[in-house]
Amino acid sequence: MRNIFINKTLKWISINFFSSRLNTLLSLLSLLFIYYISVEFINFLLSADWEVVKVNRRLLLLGRLPLEDTWRAWPIFWIICFALFSSIGAWGSPKKIELTLMFLAIILPSLIFLTLPNLHLFIITLVISILSYFLFKKLLRPSGYLKISRQFLIILWILIIPMIFLMLIIGGGPKPNLWGGFLLNVLLASVAVVAGFPLGILLAVGRASKLPAVKFTCTIYIETIRGAPLVGWLLLAWFVLPKFLPNIFGLNDITVVIRAMIVLSFFASAYIAEVIRGGLQSIPKGQLEAADAINLRYVQKMLVIVLPQAIRVVIPAIVSTFIGMFKDTSLVFILALTDLLQVGRLIPEQDPSFFGKQIEALLVVAFLFWIVSVFLSNVSSKIEKNLGIGTR
Amino acid sequence: MKKKIGKEIISVNNVVKKFGDFEALKGVSAKIFEKEVVVVLGPSGSGKSTFIRTINRLEPHDSGKIIVDGVEINDDVKNLQSVRSNVGMVFQQFNLFPHLSVLRNITLAPQKVKGLTRSESNEIAMSLLERVGIPEQSDKFPSQLSGGQQQRVAIARALAMQPKIMLFDEPTSALDPEMIKEVLEVMTELAESGMTMIVVTHEMGFAKNVADRFLFFDEGLIVEEGTPKHFFENPKEDRTKLFLSQIL
Repeated sequence: MRNIFINKTLKWISINFFSSRLNTLLSLLSLLFIYYISVEFINFLLSADWEVVKVNRRLLLLGRLPLEDTWRAWPIFWIICFALFSSIGAWGSPKKIELTLMFLAIILPSLIFLTLPNLHLFIITLVISILSYFLFKKLLRPSGYLKISRQFLIILWILIIPMIFLMLIIGGGPKPNLWGGFLLNVLLASVAVVAGFPLGILLAVGRASKLPAVKFTCTIYIETIRGAPLVGWLLLAWFVLPKFLPNIFGLNDITVVIRAMIVLSFFASAYIAEVIRGGLQSIPKGQLEAADAINLRYVQKMLVIVLPQAIRVVIPAIVSTFIGMFKDTSLVFILALTDLLQVGRLIPEQDPSFFGKQIEALLVVAFLFWIVSVFLSNVSSKIEKNLGIGTR
Repeated sequence: MKKKIGKEIISVNNVVKKFGDFEALKGVSAKIFEKEVVVVLGPSGSGKSTFIRTINRLEPHDSGKIIVDGVEINDDVKNLQSVRSNVGMVFQQFNLFPHLSVLRNITLAPQKVKGLTRSESNEIAMSLLERVGIPEQSDKFPSQLSGGQQQRVAIARALAMQPKIMLFDEPTSALDPEMIKEVLEVMTELAESGMTMIVVTHEMGFAKNVADRFLFFDEGLIVEEGTPKHFFENPKEDRTKLFLSQIL
């Protein structure tokens, strides 16, 4: 029995790695490379000193948010966890391994970030996550309330950004310039995506329009925005706009965070517009003719027939744009905001005892970005599969 | 089973349609009467598809006059809306909406255009599915149906607006042979119920049984027209004879 297993394994190895001279060479070289990298990495992990991250955990997660305002971060975290895990319960059918990975993704960073005084707050988070998942999966989903609970969740997701703002502002919150760390990245990216997506749809439809004025305006907008780097637009919003804009509605006094949000939203909209335009072009002409023949009006034709099909086609590209935007938010350091990457870059320099600990700090930064990006791309592939039912 | 042909419902007068330099229709004139079933014949590229597509303005004509049920087809959006709600169309490639269920495909227009409630339009849709013989497929998606079933759904979708005229643009050309019959049966039933129909088709058996009149197109013009009897027994034009000898 054991012999058969070993034989099978050997056969598999020889077929997959040593089937020809070239393959043998490539396999050996890769093996050498993997060995070298993993030895280095394990050596680093064994000697790593996470003190720099532990001491500065508040900076990494919240930036320069004053100590007396850190309580605001917890409810935000709870709302997000509740929305996330209820949605997974209400829509998803995650495998055990995926659930395990997800809890690991929460618990692993907590090992670094958690301190004893905060333990009870963290346990509340876990309880909320687990309870909301099982509430929606086991109780609401089999019951007749599924539709209502899904609608509730959709409304919750729509309101989540206003709620985050509310939590940051309520009862005389800190100045927005002090928002920072990972919270800032998440906030900027969410706003950019939520505002940029509908705007991007409008621009894409406009650019595909037959009306010359509309088409021209949208094309100019998209090409201008895409024609300059994001850093350029951010600087423009900071230095140049105040000189040109009339100072009405306190337009020139708005804080730099809001300006960054506006710039990121515009920037995202241009890219999303081009992605969606690609989807629009994939819709067969017959679909438009059929919609015309049953006398749908232009807006109905777009909303009911064209856009649902077009967006479905480009979901992977849209999510890819979202992930790109999420990582691009780290460029706001140029506006003197302290986002996660900026904090990670600065903390090893601020205390002599942390000199030379850049790798630890940056690794944690990279890990946080990575978790969110991987999660997004996973969710997108799940959505794709779910939407696959009606496609041709 | 003699039908009574009614008064004139479509009048096409000297219509020209160009695609760039190519003249697809070179001044076509025709009259269609209520409850009449007109079969349009002709070799490929003769303008027969373009002809029926100008009747609900999927192809805007360049000159000439088209009047459908007393309304002239022109740039006026109101006219266009009223014509399109009176004219149903069935396509060669079905053109069902793949992201919507069969039922939703049919209820869409009654709900969005006519403003009927969900239950009213569901009722209409189910009775139409009954009529085309596939009420049990209502919750499926188009991709789950056979070609013949899809085309029958497309017919039901066009009928859901309760049109006075139905246009068929080669409705069986994209179908496997064993599915053609089920679609033709639905169309025959529709013709017998007194629907005004213009059908572009190569199904001569169907045409012979159902048509009141044939229009024969060649090179953008109506070359010959007449009853099926006239066509099959003594066609006048050489081009008609040639065409019939090729497809019969």
